[in-house]
Amino acid sequence: MQHNEPLNDRNVSEQSPYFYVDIEAYPTTGWDKFKQVIKRSFKGELFVGLWVVMREMIKFDIHTVQYPKEKLPIGPRYRAVHKLLRLWESGYERCIGCGLCEKICISDCIRMDTKIDENSRKEVTEYSINLGRCIFCGYCAEVCPELAIVHGQRYENGSEQRAHFVIKDDMLTPLDWLTSGQQAEFPGFGAITPNESVTKTPLAY
Amino acid sequence: MIEFTINNQPVTALKGETILQVARKTGFYIPTMCYIEKTKPCASCRLCVVEADSVDGLILSCQTPPTQGLAVTIDSDRLQQERTNIMRLYDVNHPLECGVCDKSGACDLQNKTLEFGISAQHFSAKDQNRKIEHWGLINYDPSLCILCEKCVHVCNEIIGDDAITLQFGGYKSAVVPKNSEKLDCTFCGECIAVCPVGALVSSQFQYSANAWELTQIPATCAHCSAGCSLTYEVKHTSNSNGAKPKIYRVTNNFEVATLCGAGRFGFDFDIQASKDNELFEKAVASFKNAKAIRFSSLITNEEAMILQRLKAKMGIKLFNEEARGYQSFMSAYSSVSGKSAFSGSLDAIAQSDGIIVLGGRVSADNPAVRYAMTTAARHNGARVVYMHPLEDALLQNVITQMVRYEAGSEEGVVAMLAQTLLKNCDISDETKGFLDSLDDGYLCAESNVGDEEFDRIAASLRRAKRKTLIIGSDVLHHKRAANIARLCGLIEKYSDYSLVIIPQNVNTVGVSLICDLDQDEKISDVVGYNAKGDFIVGSLGEYDMALPSLNQQEGTFVSLNYQLLSTNVAVAFEGYCLNDITTSLGVKAENTIDYTVQLPTEKGFKAVEFDALGNFYGPLGEDNRGYQLETMDCTIDGVLEEIEDLPEFNGTVVYYSNPVNQFNGYTARTSQLEHDTSLRGSAQFAAAARLSGGERIQIEGANTVRTFILDESLKGTIALVPTFDTSFGGLPETYRFEKIKLIKVGS
Ligand code: SF4
Ligand code: SF4
Ligand code: SF4
Ligand code: SF4
Ligand code: SF4
Ligand code: FES
Repeated sequence: MQHNEPLNDRNVSEQSPYFYVDIEAYPTTGWDKFKQVIKRSFKGELFVGLWVVMREMIKFDIHTVQYPKEKLPIGPRYRAVHKLLRLWESGYERCIGCGLCEKICISDCIRMDTKIDENSRKEVTEYSINLGRCIFCGYCAEVCPELAIVHGQRYENGSEQRAHFVIKDDMLTPLDWLTSGQQAEFPGFGAITPNESVTKTPLAY
Repeated sequence: MIEFTINNQPVTALKGETILQVARKTGFYIPTMCYIEKTKPCASCRLCVVEADSVDGLILSCQTPPTQGLAVTIDSDRLQQERTNIMRLYDVNHPLECGVCDKSGACDLQNKTLEFGISAQHFSAKDQNRKIEHWGLINYDPSLCILCEKCVHVCNEIIGDDAITLQFGGYKSAVVPKNSEKLDCTFCGECIAVCPVGALVSSQFQYSANAWELTQIPATCAHCSAGCSLTYEVKHTSNSNGAKPKIYRVTNNFEVATLCGAGRFGFDFDIQASKDNELFEKAVASFKNAKAIRFSSLITNEEAMILQRLKAKMGIKLFNEEARGYQSFMSAYSSVSGKSAFSGSLDAIAQSDGIIVLGGRVSADNPAVRYAMTTAARHNGARVVYMHPLEDALLQNVITQMVRYEAGSEEGVVAMLAQTLLKNCDISDETKGFLDSLDDGYLCAESNVGDEEFDRIAASLRRAKRKTLIIGSDVLHHKRAANIARLCGLIEKYSDYSLVIIPQNVNTVGVSLICDLDQDEKISDVVGYNAKGDFIVGSLGEYDMALPSLNQQEGTFVSLNYQLLSTNVAVAFEGYCLNDITTSLGVKAENTIDYTVQLPTEKGFKAVEFDALGNFYGPLGEDNRGYQLETMDCTIDGVLEEIEDLPEFNGTVVYYSNPVNQFNGYTARTSQLEHDTSLRGSAQFAAAARLSGGERIQIEGANTVRTFILDESLKGTIALVPTFDTSFGGLPETYRFEKIKLIKVGS
């Protein structure tokens, strides 16, 4: 995903497409202000706007995205509702329960519970993010040593209450998604850029 | 005083101090990995090396005392190189699991690895397959262990269980249970505390929280009269559990203080209730109608003060037989010694080189006393004479002489002891007359302690310089307690022994100083506060209205050291507290801790606000907890009474004593501590009582059914009966030996 666009020259000069806009001086006296109000009210600009809408409607060439039936594609680095990923090889959860995301979170909205499992390993029993508080800063994803918590693309999180949560079951990649190759890698800070040559969990590279 | 220099700065050492101790005292930093202040040097890490002008090689500052005029250098390129190499070796094959390790963030290995900038492994060794051990409350991961030996040293020198040891095998070395497959010890958890890495961890806590997420709340242990300093570590639980705060673990300042298993693992005794106004009105009404309030010594000074004010205002009586026993014992003691408090303390015990213990099962009653005795035995080679009708297997490594007397004969034994210890002392004619008039023959015969045993005590303690007499709680409720107390006062007054009397509960001393207690009468209209009554409030047993537990209250206790110690709220209690009830009865205060400053100064308290009390140890181990109560002068008007005929305890006799780590209703409801409620007796007892192991029995008059367990480690004809599980718990308010009738239940 290389971008080779040339940089725009944003300096104002003869060559550049940028130029100063001629702005009329603001009225200062009461009388001038009154004249401006009268002029703006009766010039009929309102009808210009209505005409534009009317014209486009008749053309039947509408560019409006039919949300929610239709959604715009989102940049891979967009930071929306989190996901918890699995290891590609074994299907185990990547999260080791280190608690760094919980600690770094500046809105203090991650809560997790861990315990020792029967194989003497640390097991994450609960993991929740309060989306009502999350500011989608991405720190949690950045600090995670296991590339386990990442930001997904789901940005709809309307709710009846201010506090609402995503829990581990919602975020964790379902096993059948993993086997059918639907688990996407997070191309964010510290991660490698996924391409065809990546066949293992990026941690191993 | 030894004068020498560290990095060319002149410093002075006291006799017995090491270079490291002087360096720390004077603000020089020498890195260490295996050093722990309260034990002898482990000397295993070699990180503390320093250079001295008189020697070529490097010397270990943790175990070397300075000599006059020595010039010590503590930082040089050579030392830095040496220390860096040590740290490189420590890091070889150390698992890269800080991400999950309990110790991460508070790990000495992490800290020192960063301090010395070890970022790569320069040596290699074939890794071993090491098995993680599960030892009940403790898990041990040998691959994290750095073999510093701290755990072994505390277990042996301070605790006295001597349950673990290092198995040497080069790269395969590990900590193993001593002489057994699985760890069999009293589970004090002190080894967990001192472990600098995550090798020894609490099995229940492991992997449940990180060190940096826990809020530390300094408090005082509520389980026994030692009042050990501890820190409740609290965190919220997950959202699905309502995100309520919970105590995750208890830690302590292990460099200078020690905790027993009850303090460390018995912390989850908090309760919850909401504000129920109807119940509250009912409680207020019962207080209003009450003729008396019966309460236990599991109470803060402030609440004891509230009850005392209530008594003054409403003319009701206050019942607490356990504290009253201690109170009258102490007043009889004061009438001879002329002082309100005894001279000894836990520190004095630990520094003694001669100790006599009489009338208590210290290892279970007050583990802090046991640890102080172990320390004295290991560090000062103290001679320890243990006098009791029952042997205690836990003390066998510590005691040098066991003296068994007949149950009930304490008065005679103490009298004979006084005669022995005061033999060549400068005593008054009256006292001399009293001691001379003792009927040695009768007392020795009836108490079953021969003359020669007293001679041996005298001989073995003759050379000791710092001596302590420890009196257990058996005698506090003895029929002849007052005379025993006077005899103890006598010994302390005229001999060079310091005296320690072990109160039963966390605040027995505080209650005995604050409250005017009345003799308990079996009347009606009694409100019980953690005690029996017609209307019961509190947090123990079956209560009508819940009041906060002792880990949910702020307030103060008085420990057996006569030190005022503060405690804090670990988890908040949503319901009402005693102060709310009494405020509506006219004994008004905004907060319970408003009473701290009002504690009676004529009893030795100081007018200090609660918020001005410290609760921590300084960097060099200075005790900054609360304050020491003043010892008051008392009138000397006590007259020794003649020794009464010694009672006989024949037939089925039991001794009320709790298993180690169990004390009261609080410890009884904690989740980690073992709850052994069985009655234990020797084969001899079983034969006499016609019982066999596993039988279900009931003591006549009590309603608890117990299982009889034949215990090989016990001897003699007296069985042990626990009391922690009987509704309010604690030890009985009567003499601890009792002749009983056993009823077999079912079959
Ligand atoms: S994105 Fe930021 S605010 Fe949201 S959970 Fe992660 S660290 Fe917390
Ligand atoms: S930082 Fe990553 S591995 Fe650690 S707890 Fe959070 S999600 Fe799990
Ligand atoms: S013992 Fe210390 S260095 Fe070793 S894994 Fe645990 S935190 Fe890391
Ligand atoms: S828990 Fe206490 S007694 Fe048991 S091994 Fe550890 S230090 Fe020793
Ligand atoms: S278990 Fe801990 S305290 Fe014991 S030797 Fe190993 S590292 Fe040291
Ligand atoms: S501190 Fe001296 S050898 Fe470890």
